[in-house]
Amino acid sequence: MQGRNGLPVCVKNMSDNGKEKEQVTLTIDGKEISVDKGTTVLDAATLMGIHIPTFCWHPKLDSIGACRMCLVDVEKFPKPAVACATEAMPGMIVRTDTDEIVKARRGVLEFMLLNHPLDCPTCDKGGECDLQDNVFHYGIDKSRQAFTRRRVIDDQTTDAFDDKRIGPEIIRNMNRCVTCYKCIRFNKEIAGEYDLGAYERGNHTVIDAAPGEQIDNFYSGNVVEICPVGALTNTDWRYKIRNWKAKQTLSLCSHDADGQNIMLWHDQRQLWRATSRRNDDIDDGWICNIARYGYQYINSPDRLKTPLIKKEGKQVPASWDEAISLISKRFKEIKDSKGSVCLAGLIGGNQSVETAYLFNKFFRNKLHTNNLDYRLEYIDLKGSDETEAYNCLYRAPFTIADLEQADVVFVFGSNFIKDHPAINLRLRKAYRKFGTKVYTANPVETKSADISLDEMIYSPDTETAFIAGLIHAIIDNKYYKNIDETKAAEVKTMLAPATLDEAARLCGIEQERIVNLAKVLSEANNPYILAGDYFVASAKRHRTANGMYDLANLLGIKDSNAIILASQANSMGADRVGVRPRLTENLKKTLIDKWGEELPESPGSNTSQILNNSLDEEIDGLFILGANPAMRYPDGPFVNSALDKLDFLVVADLFETATSAKADVVLPLAGWAEQSGAYVNVEGRYQKFEKAQDADKGIKSGIEIIHSIARAMDLSLNLDNAALMHETKDIVDAFEREARDEAKFFEVKQAQIPEHDNYPYRLLVGNDIHHFGYVTEHCPSLMRFTPEPYLEISPNLAEKLGIDEETLVRIESTTGKLVLKARFSEYFEGDVLFIPNNFSATEVTGLVSREGGGWVKIEKLDDK
Amino acid sequence: MILKESTIKEIKTRMERYPSRRSAILPALTAAYRQVGHLDNAVYKEISRVIEIPYVEIAEAATFYTMFPKHEVGKYLIQVCHNISCSLRGADNMLIYMQEKLGIKMGETTDDNLFTLISVECLGGCSAAPMMQINQDYYEDLSREKIDTIFADLRAKAEEEGK
Amino acid sequence: MLKTFWDIIKTTVIALPIGLYTTFKHVFKKPVTKKYPKAKSEMMPRYRGLHYLERYDDGTERCVCCGLCAAACPADAIYMEPDENEKGERFAKVYEINMIRCIFCGFCEEACPEEAIFLGHEFELANDNRDGFIYSKDDMLVEHPRKDRPYKTIYRRTRRHSM
Repeated sequence: MQGRNGLPVCVKNMSDNGKEKEQVTLTIDGKEISVDKGTTVLDAATLMGIHIPTFCWHPKLDSIGACRMCLVDVEKFPKPAVACATEAMPGMIVRTDTDEIVKARRGVLEFMLLNHPLDCPTCDKGGECDLQDNVFHYGIDKSRQAFTRRRVIDDQTTDAFDDKRIGPEIIRNMNRCVTCYKCIRFNKEIAGEYDLGAYERGNHTVIDAAPGEQIDNFYSGNVVEICPVGALTNTDWRYKIRNWKAKQTLSLCSHDADGQNIMLWHDQRQLWRATSRRNDDIDDGWICNIARYGYQYINSPDRLKTPLIKKEGKQVPASWDEAISLISKRFKEIKDSKGSVCLAGLIGGNQSVETAYLFNKFFRNKLHTNNLDYRLEYIDLKGSDETEAYNCLYRAPFTIADLEQADVVFVFGSNFIKDHPAINLRLRKAYRKFGTKVYTANPVETKSADISLDEMIYSPDTETAFIAGLIHAIIDNKYYKNIDETKAAEVKTMLAPATLDEAARLCGIEQERIVNLAKVLSEANNPYILAGDYFVASAKRHRTANGMYDLANLLGIKDSNAIILASQANSMGADRVGVRPRLTENLKKTLIDKWGEELPESPGSNTSQILNNSLDEEIDGLFILGANPAMRYPDGPFVNSALDKLDFLVVADLFETATSAKADVVLPLAGWAEQSGAYVNVEGRYQKFEKAQDADKGIKSGIEIIHSIARAMDLSLNLDNAALMHETKDIVDAFEREARDEAKFFEVKQAQIPEHDNYPYRLLVGNDIHHFGYVTEHCPSLMRFTPEPYLEISPNLAEKLGIDEETLVRIESTTGKLVLKARFSEYFEGDVLFIPNNFSATEVTGLVSREGGGWVKIEKLDDK
Repeated sequence: MILKESTIKEIKTRMERYPSRRSAILPALTAAYRQVGHLDNAVYKEISRVIEIPYVEIAEAATFYTMFPKHEVGKYLIQVCHNISCSLRGADNMLIYMQEKLGIKMGETTDDNLFTLISVECLGGCSAAPMMQINQDYYEDLSREKIDTIFADLRAKAEEEGK
Repeated sequence: MLKTFWDIIKTTVIALPIGLYTTFKHVFKKPVTKKYPKAKSEMMPRYRGLHYLERYDDGTERCVCCGLCAAACPADAIYMEPDENEKGERFAKVYEINMIRCIFCGFCEEACPEEAIFLGHEFELANDNRDGFIYSKDDMLVEHPRKDRPYKTIYRRTRRHSM
């Protein structure tokens, strides 16, 4: 069996996983240690606390023994052995500190220094360089070489330092390279990317991108971090500040839901960089480019610095006192005259869980309204998210690390590399190391194609049909578990389309492939079903969720193994502390306990209901904290008119956005690095982050803003920061979800796919691979990867319409039109188009309808 | 299309002999080299398309081996061993003589596109040093006179083929 | 206590001419003091005064803003911000020394790997304004490379980047 990249797929008996391994006992530096069979001498020594210097070794990469720095003396070996590639054997006697070994290591270092330029003063790695440290430790202070050093000079090098830019962010200086091959191994083994190569050999080795290509893959920042010398550096940290000058703060990625752990480097002036902070439960020490460069928006000069108040149709700067008193006055007026049901609050998914909880308390407990939501990104039909099946799968408890134990993973409607970078890497690891079989079903081909055994492309909007087909296949072939035949026949009647054949035809996938997937899933011991952003972005996702629920029950999949993945850094946190109109009984009880008061009884509205109600003038006052629905929520014109209709709109945000332009009061908001707090990631894991720097004087955090509004309204929230943190933690910990009921089955009905005669092409809108949400356009590094919005189109379709790359294309739907540059994508086929919605310059959401996603027509714009 | 149908067919038959496609990289490179006479990025791209292995891997393998010339060479590629045994027996002088004789420097090709001169590491012919390899043939125990005759023979051969 | 007549004679009539003799003797000698500020005295070679930033012979700045002087500074008086020039080289966009903090220990000079900063013989640092004590690059960077070698015998690299 072979994957797409030609690597043999490792097939391993999964039942071996978790079994106790054979132990071997060896002696290192006179002390005995027992380790698992297969452990290297280096790992054994590390376990004992013995330090062995290395360059090419990395705990998460395979050992290749390229640098020869980890030489140790093994008794009965004729010469020193490399510790990183020598397996521990019973009775082995290892010495790591003999004179001979020190001499050998000195020799290795001397060879490394043959060609290494001594430009440490200008090198960005200076101060955290393995070579510097080792040379200092082994005291090599004199060079014996009499010849000139090798210089690698490319055509594109700058004059002085032989630097070459090999990617939007990455700069390579080949003179400094010690050929440890870590960067290349990372790219191939972990990220599965083949854009970086080591050409020539020995002394002449050159690390470079493939000709005409750039190192712009989604994980490319990691190669800079693992480079033991300054051969690979990035623009982000280039000539900025010395690493010993910067302070470090533990933090988290503030964008996607995986909760990748990062370290923020900063001083009094600004944030300087983010590096990974290895957490084996989540990211294994590899972070995506968005986590690495996505902090930069905090430093942006475009940040809001003072509150703005709309006076005579114009927003003018005002003082905080003025702004807060105006807000409290108007909220009080609305509450007193029209009742608290006319007030509503929306909070962004990347506000800390404490902010979300305080927001919840302020609105529920003090303003007595249930009009609250945090889901501002996706089409949300009235209450569709509140179905039992959807909520059950959405809140499923799972851990990313457990994916390694899976034998089959079915990825349904997700481009993991975009939405869940850590889960994507974990899947790759599971595939490469443990032989996990991956199957995918997506509306377009994704980057996970090379590890996928069968990548099924269903036509857009037919998710439900696909899952119905899968259930048909299971029932027809009697793959189901736990239920009897009569029940199975009953479940079959609950499906539409009514037969596998029909379903397969509708979603455009051959029957055999669906049956095969059903077979593989039913035979697996520990299968996983993961649904991601394409799934969540589809309008009829609650129907598909029903299907997923049924599927999991039919196959007897564990409760924790069928998951709809949350999308933003604190989506799960906001969900857990109850920032949504309807609460679970359990959470209601906890909140009543905490607040000592009954909760308001009105049914409450979610995002789409709030916007609808504001059009109907049933909601007058809206408070939006750290979110931009005007840019991100589908159907731009609708959102804009809804926001225009509001009597009073307060927006607190970091930047002036399309939403804040409509606000009566705009409050400058502190970013996540300017406050401490916690995020609850996609697994439901509560993780704290610390404050890195103070915000500007005029900027306040969400917590401070809510407190000051409450104070001005004479409503005391009665929570200082420490109490707030404890209370939030209690509530997150107390969260309990109802387990999946294995005897329960829901109807799975494919919705009518609307006819779009004049608008033949299906438009997908979502995050660009190097952007997330609406703030990343303020990150210069990420803008270097994707500087402007584009229309992604399949080459076939483009050829049919006579569109070339970079030509301007007019895109038109029933709700709006747009002109964008075309860009070909190898992943697209047929009539599917994609536009990123991360750029404020284009109103992409204007093309997407609330009811059923975007259907558009496109034409080439004349050159004139 | 740089590779001929027959070459692609040869690569494909070679591929079947190996458990994984990656193993076919070197046979593919050899076949391509035999047809084209040298290897470059365009050739790697084509091979990458044929055996479905990322381009970078092909380029890495090809550049690792010095025996594949990476740019256009003359009809006869002269590889002169300059390792220790040959050096001791006068390979350096032979090289200087050849450069004078052909009127080119190391790594260059003659104007008539016949000879390319490069020096390489040990070719395993130490028993008859100094030695060189021209295309697939070894020429051993070199002396100035021998070089003269070898070049004259090759020129004559090329002329004959040219007719 | 009454002084005797002789005591008075001793201190006035005799001592006065003796003292005046010394005074008049020195009128014709060269004075040991200097007419500061009109004339300045020559400093000892090891004197550590105001810092200056050196240039290469071709006029470019030696300082690459590596931060070692700031790291070595016991008084934390040095502040710097590096940047990239149009050639892609690292240079100091901002280089400031707070002379109120500076204790003129010369560690910065010792630490500098590029031989860019030296403590000169200038000592007139008085100012009536606290901000005036923050010396920026404009104040310290020399116009032309200084020919006079400082006390420390150093090996000056002629090439800018000895590889």
